[in-house]
Amino acid sequence: MRWLSRLFRRSKLDAQLDSELRFHVEQQTAQNIAAGMDPDDARRRALAQFGGLEYIKEETRDARGTHFIETLLQDVRFAFRILRKTPFITAIALLSLALGIGANTAIFSLIDAVMLRMLPVQNPEQLTLIKFRSPASAHLRQSATDPIWEQVRDHQDAFSGVIAWSPETFDLADGGEVNNIHGMYVSGSYFTTLGVRPAAGRLMAASDDVRGCSGVAVLGYGYWQSHYGGAESAIGSLIRLNGHAFPIIGIAQAGFFGTEIGVLLDVAIPICAEGILDGQNSMLDDRSSWWLEMMGRLKPGMTVEQADARMKVISPQLFGAVVPQDSDATYAAMFRNYKFFVLPGDTGTGGTYGLREQYRQPLRILMFVVGLVLLIACANLASLLLARSAARQKEIAVRLSLGASRARLIRQVLTESIVLSGAGAILGVLFARWGSALLVRFVSTQQNQVFLDLKMDGRVLAFTIAIAVLCGLLFGIFPALRSTRVDAMSAMKEGQAQAAGGRSSSSAARWIVAAQIALSLILLIGTGLFIHTFANLMTLDAGFDRNNVLMVETNIHNAGIPEPARAVLYGQMLAKLRTLPGVVSASQCWMTPLSGRQWSNSVTAPGHPLPAGVDPDTMLNWVTPGYFETMRTPLLEGRTFEARDSATSTPVVIVNQLVARRYFGTQSPIGQHLIVGTVSSGTREMLRQPIEIIGVVQDTKYNSLDEDFQPEAYFPLSQIQQNVVENTAFEIRTAMTPGALIPAVRDAMGSVNKLASLQFTTLKQEADDSVAQEHLMAVLSGFFGGLALLLTAIGLYGVMAYVVTQRTHEIGIRMALGAQQGSILRLVMRDAAIVLAAGTAAGLLSSIWITHLVKGLLFGLTPSDPSTVALAIIALVAVALFACYIPSRRAMRVDPMVALRHE
Amino acid sequence: MAQNKPEFLKGALDLLILKVVALGPIHGYAISQRIQQISEDYFQVQQGTLYPALHRLENRGWLGAEWKDTDTGREAKFYSLTKKGRKHLEAEMASWERMSNAVALILRTAE
Repeated sequence: MRWLSRLFRRSKLDAQLDSELRFHVEQQTAQNIAAGMDPDDARRRALAQFGGLEYIKEETRDARGTHFIETLLQDVRFAFRILRKTPFITAIALLSLALGIGANTAIFSLIDAVMLRMLPVQNPEQLTLIKFRSPASAHLRQSATDPIWEQVRDHQDAFSGVIAWSPETFDLADGGEVNNIHGMYVSGSYFTTLGVRPAAGRLMAASDDVRGCSGVAVLGYGYWQSHYGGAESAIGSLIRLNGHAFPIIGIAQAGFFGTEIGVLLDVAIPICAEGILDGQNSMLDDRSSWWLEMMGRLKPGMTVEQADARMKVISPQLFGAVVPQDSDATYAAMFRNYKFFVLPGDTGTGGTYGLREQYRQPLRILMFVVGLVLLIACANLASLLLARSAARQKEIAVRLSLGASRARLIRQVLTESIVLSGAGAILGVLFARWGSALLVRFVSTQQNQVFLDLKMDGRVLAFTIAIAVLCGLLFGIFPALRSTRVDAMSAMKEGQAQAAGGRSSSSAARWIVAAQIALSLILLIGTGLFIHTFANLMTLDAGFDRNNVLMVETNIHNAGIPEPARAVLYGQMLAKLRTLPGVVSASQCWMTPLSGRQWSNSVTAPGHPLPAGVDPDTMLNWVTPGYFETMRTPLLEGRTFEARDSATSTPVVIVNQLVARRYFGTQSPIGQHLIVGTVSSGTREMLRQPIEIIGVVQDTKYNSLDEDFQPEAYFPLSQIQQNVVENTAFEIRTAMTPGALIPAVRDAMGSVNKLASLQFTTLKQEADDSVAQEHLMAVLSGFFGGLALLLTAIGLYGVMAYVVTQRTHEIGIRMALGAQQGSILRLVMRDAAIVLAAGTAAGLLSSIWITHLVKGLLFGLTPSDPSTVALAIIALVAVALFACYIPSRRAMRVDPMVALRHE
Repeated sequence: MAQNKPEFLKGALDLLILKVVALGPIHGYAISQRIQQISEDYFQVQQGTLYPALHRLENRGWLGAEWKDTDTGREAKFYSLTKKGRKHLEAEMASWERMSNAVALILRTAE
């Protein structure tokens, strides 16, 4: 690092060089005197012989090798001085850069956290996901049954260790309103295989996860810190989950968030503990309950391909051992044919809730959007610098004629722009930290809270630095090349320095603005599409009225009530709720719409076969009388459930329009019959006898607002023999704000059974949550579209104002010769119109191709939706014309006398 | 003056400086004088090339420098050859010799 220390001794070295050269001149002078010259003459001659002193110094410094760094520092200092001189322009530039770079960093850090970052465990590159599918299917199954997991655990020989887990929320409260924490069932091998160390106590061992266990709990580090203050005394204490006490044996190391992206790990309990919590409904030996995800750690030296091949070999043996008992021949054959697929798992899984899969496309699109915004900001800066460099033409001409090389000047201008973008990046990082946290809140819903570790890791930092430098070069290079290409002589000689170079630089600025307009239009069309999509979703007829409905998700697992008695308890609760003041109507169902849970089975109608290729799967639900009234789902034909539909009366079913149409066409389905569950796909069997259709209701959204309507069939709770589960929901249509009713409902439910766990939400909230992604896209693209429009308007205004200033003289002459204000306006606006038209046309053409990529994220409209495109163009043109109008008006008001005298 | 003198061959100035400095510690002015004298006024080293060259050679570690008093009591920067510089000088001289021999050979043979 010799050059570095020399750099700091710079002034000393300069002084030494000075005296060395002075010594030389003195010696020469002395010699000249000795040769007979008089002293003055001798010195003059010596200096003349020596040549340009400063020039030699410069050359010598160059030879010293630290010159590059020195001039860099000098350039940076100079850049700061120039930037300080024009604080307003600098502030605008910094703000747009900070927003642009910040937005890019924010989105990228989300992409990093969701898709790129490796799990914070030992040797994450050795981790693989273990999935499977039947050869006939294109989709890998996400999760396995416990018997499949046990087969893998006990018989695989491809991995040094395998793990399984299942995320689950646990309730800390013993009845009453729930107090949920993010938990996970994990295999005994989970922590040791991942290589996670305890922060305190011990972590689970294989011996903690054996059938019939009494259960232990491991806390996540963050939860331990926030709820136990990080106290060692937490070890050995009990934590009550769903009414069962588990001893806490240890704390996982800090920074470990589990194997699933977006899911926080507060507490982990062994898989065997599911038997304790779910009792007789336990999934442990159930060959039809799919709930566990699996991972394996490769043996050293083994590749993913080798492990995959090995797992495929043992697939028939493993799956053959755990075929669901009640499956028919077709299903059993398919099951035996399952093949394992081993995939790289270093970044963990996308999560049971599909965070990674759901947000991959939106995040990519947002990355593209913020990229465009940054480009527009860069274009603005380019035209700003261009305008300023035109004003600095004289200075540059002087420097060129004093012997500065063009490369040197280009470097100076580029340094200036990189200083600008660097400062913008620093501000941008601050903005990004706030922005990405805000984004995560957008993605989070009440039911599915997303947790992401948004730390600035090396990758994010490198990304930010890279785009900052790239931006600096991008908006700097063009003005730098342009401004240093001046004819020094003419620039200095002419009073109007800008006359020649200025005209051409303003035409360059016009191109830049045209590009901005094109980019803005693309963004605006995108914005329009996303906002339109969101508006479509918010206003669509979902088949129910989402306003003023309080939902009470109820779980009676703590109460330990056997299945036959549950319906009675539910009946008491519902009767109590109906008496509360402020309740318009109340009902109960199993599957609340939009909750994300679903119950489906195949349905057939005797004598009315489905066309080939139509999936017979139908969404099912059981409800009480009053359900359709409470949800305000219109009854189209027949009747709804009544008290007379009892366990002993004829089994009845209500279907939606889709079911009616697909089985019976234009015929009335009333009085026809359906059979549920012909092919068992593992769901528990229910009614096998034909059920009579008594009513047709309007289609309703089942999983989310943005899906297509699904075939649906409703059964009365009173006729359900099985599947009267411990978790259910009550819907209450209220005459007031739903939230205001919560205390009364809590008391009423508690008075029936104290141990029932209650979770409150509203149908409106569930509806909003189901379109969280579309909401995110609409808000963000709206924000960025607006930003792009603003930046473009500023750019356009700047260029037009500059053009008008330049043509003041010409306009003055025209007016002196009798031109009307209108014709002057036309003159200036014609310029703008050409730029606007060119930009709009280019934007429109590219948007045709680009908007096609977002097709999958739109709802109820096509990417080329004419009204959206038209609106975007109108908005853009209106803003652009306004931005041009202000400078144009100034042009109209030019006083010919002043303009001409100005010369 | 210098305009009608031939340009230094690339690397030749470095060689001459190293050779002159090899005779003992010497300051910049004296180097230019010495080169001029020895070459019987054939080479006139421009200061604009001398000092950059000196600093470049110093930077490469071939020349060492020291501030010392001259005979007249003025402080000046004296350059001397380092071990590395001596090795470099020998190598350069050998290659220069080979080259000038080769050039001479061609000139003679082509007559």
